[in-house]
Amino acid sequence: MRTILRAYLRGLWEGKLVLGYTLLLSFSLLIIAPFLMILLRSVGKGWFGRLWFPPQLTLDWYRWAVEVGNIPDVMKNTLIIGVIAVAVSTVIGIFAGWAFGRRQIPGKEILMAIVLLPRMIPPITYALGVAKIFYTLDLVNTYLGVALAHVSVCAPYAILVLATTFEGLDERVLEAAGVCGANTLKRFFYVVLPLIMPGILASMIFSFTHSYNEFTLTLLTYGPHTVTLPVRTYLAVGDGYWEITSAMAVIMVLPSLLILAMIQRRAKPERLVGGFKGV
Amino acid sequence: MADGMIEFREVTKRYGGLVANDRLSLSIRRGELMTLLGPSGCGKTTALRCLTGYIRPDAGRILIDGKDVTDLPTHQRELGMVFQNFALFPHMSVWDNVAFPLMIRSAPKAERAEQVGEALRLVRLEGYRGHYPRQLSGGQQQRVGLARALVYRPKVLLLDEPLSNLDAKLREEMRFEIKEVVTRLGITAMYVTHDQAEALALSDRVAIMNRGRLEQVGTPEEIYEKPGSRFVAEFIGLSNFLEGSVQTVDGAEMVVQAQHLRVLTAALPGAGPGQKVVLFVRPNEIEIRPRPEPGVVNLFEARVEKATYLGDTMDYRLTLGPGLELRVQTDARNRHDQGAAVWLQLPRVRSWIAEG
Repeated sequence: MRTILRAYLRGLWEGKLVLGYTLLLSFSLLIIAPFLMILLRSVGKGWFGRLWFPPQLTLDWYRWAVEVGNIPDVMKNTLIIGVIAVAVSTVIGIFAGWAFGRRQIPGKEILMAIVLLPRMIPPITYALGVAKIFYTLDLVNTYLGVALAHVSVCAPYAILVLATTFEGLDERVLEAAGVCGANTLKRFFYVVLPLIMPGILASMIFSFTHSYNEFTLTLLTYGPHTVTLPVRTYLAVGDGYWEITSAMAVIMVLPSLLILAMIQRRAKPERLVGGFKGV
Repeated sequence: MADGMIEFREVTKRYGGLVANDRLSLSIRRGELMTLLGPSGCGKTTALRCLTGYIRPDAGRILIDGKDVTDLPTHQRELGMVFQNFALFPHMSVWDNVAFPLMIRSAPKAERAEQVGEALRLVRLEGYRGHYPRQLSGGQQQRVGLARALVYRPKVLLLDEPLSNLDAKLREEMRFEIKEVVTRLGITAMYVTHDQAEALALSDRVAIMNRGRLEQVGTPEEIYEKPGSRFVAEFIGLSNFLEGSVQTVDGAEMVVQAQHLRVLTAALPGAGPGQKVVLFVRPNEIEIRPRPEPGVVNLFEARVEKATYLGDTMDYRLTLGPGLELRVQTDARNRHDQGAAVWLQLPRVRSWIAEG
C-alpha cells in the first residue's frame, strides 16, 4: 500500500512540469480573464445572455467615451497631476534617499516606518484625513492638491528606490572626484547624478504608475476640474453604461502598457525592483 | 625640515578610545617617494585621509608645500590620488576619466586634449581612450587611475595600496612602472601599503608605523640593515631573535649570555651588565660550517632539524639546544643533510634593550 502511494507521489513529482504549466496557465487566465472580458465588452454590440462572443464588433463605445465621457480632458488632468506628483516625489526621494542611504541617522528604522506609514494604513482612512486638511486649505479640486495627495503614496517608493541607489554608490569614487578638485556641487552634477540616473528613472516610473492608478485619495480630493481617469471610469459605472465604462477602462490601460513596453526595452523591470529593501 | 613638501606636525586622530594617529610628525621631501608602511590598523590610512582632507585631525597641522591645508576642503588641496579599488568614474570613458581633473578646473579644450593625451601615453593606454573602465583589466584600470592622478601635475601624488587588488605578477610589473613614472616626473609621492616587499622596491624612504606612531623612518637599506626596533625587524624581512642578558661590556663590544650561548656583539649605549637585551640576526647572515674553526667568534654547535630546498636558496631550521632554534638561509649549493651536526657562525649580531 505504502509503495503504491510512494510511486504515486513520485509520479506527481516527476510530472511537476505538467503540473507547473497547468497552474501557470490557470493563473495567467485568472489574470487575463477580467481584462479580456472588458476588452470584448468595449468592442461588442448586442452581447447579452449566454453568448461566448459578441455577435457584432464596433468602436462606437470609444467614440461615446471620448465625446460624452470627456476622456481627452480627463487624460490631460491625469497626466498633469502625474507629472507634478512625480516631480515632487523625486525631489523628496533624492534628499531623503541620500539621508537614508548614506548617513548614519539615529532611529533610521523608525523614520523609515513613518515614511512608509501612508502605505500601511487603509487608504480610505488616510484619504479622509487628507481630504479634511485639503478642504481647510482650499486645496481640493486643484492640480497641486490632488498631486500632493498622490505624493503621500509615491514619495515612499521614490525614497526606498533612491535610498537603495545611494547605498550602492561607491564612496571611493566620490572621494576620487573630491581629490580631483570637484567641490560638492560639481561632485553631485558630474558624478553622483549620472550614477544614480537609473535609480531616478526607476523611482519616476514607480511614482508615475502609482499616481496614474491612484483611486481612493483622488476620489476624496478631486473636483470637477481635476477628474482623473480612474475616478471618471468609476463614475461611469454609476451611470450604468457598461460598454462605455469598458471602453474607458481599456483606454486607461494603454499608457500603462506603453510604459511597460518602454521599460522592457530599456531595462529589466525586475532589476529595477530588485534593489528594493523592506517592501 | 624646510624643504618638506608634505609635513605632518603632531597630527593626532582618535576614534573613541582608539588613537589612530598619535602625535604623528613626518616630513616628506620635495621629489621624494615616501612609503607609509605598517600592518592594518597601524594608522597609515588615517594619516593618508587626514592628508586628503577626508577626515579632520583632532590636533596638529598638515602642510603641503609650506601651506597649511589642515582646514582646506579636499578639492582645494591640489592632490592626485590613486585608489586601491581604482575608484574610476564608471560612467565615463578612459579619456573622460583622465580629463576629469582638467574639466573641473575649466582648462582650455586644446590644452586639455594635449595633457590627457600625454598622460595616457605615460601609462601606455593611448589606444584605450574610448573604452569604459568595466572593459579594462585591473592593471589597465589602475593605469587609468594613475593617469587621472597625474594629468594636471598636482604637487603631490598619493597612492593608497594601489597594487593590492592586482594579481602577484602584475603587481611586480606595476611596481616598476609606478616607480619609473614618479621618478620621471619628479613628483613628490606618498605611498601607503602593508606590503614590505613593495615598500623596499619602490621607496626613496620608508616610514614604518605601528599603533598610530612612527617606528622608524629611513631608506629601504637602513630599515632592513639597521631596524630600530624589534617590531621593524619582524615586519621587514625574516629575522631570528634571541633573548639574553649582558655579561660584560668592554669598550665598543659586549658579551651577551643567551641561554648557553655567549654572543659577542657591539655594545649598546646605556646597557650595563645584567641588562636584558634582544639579539637579532637575519637568516641569510648566518654561515653554516661543517666543522669548528679555531679563532672564529660566535661559533656555535647546532643540529639540522629541517632542510627545505627553495630553488635558489636552502632554508634550514637548526636547533642549538632545548628551545633554541634558528632559521638560516644559505646558497642552495651549500647543502647539509637533515640531522647533521654543523657549526653556525653569527658574524653580525645586532641588539636592542628588551622591552618591559
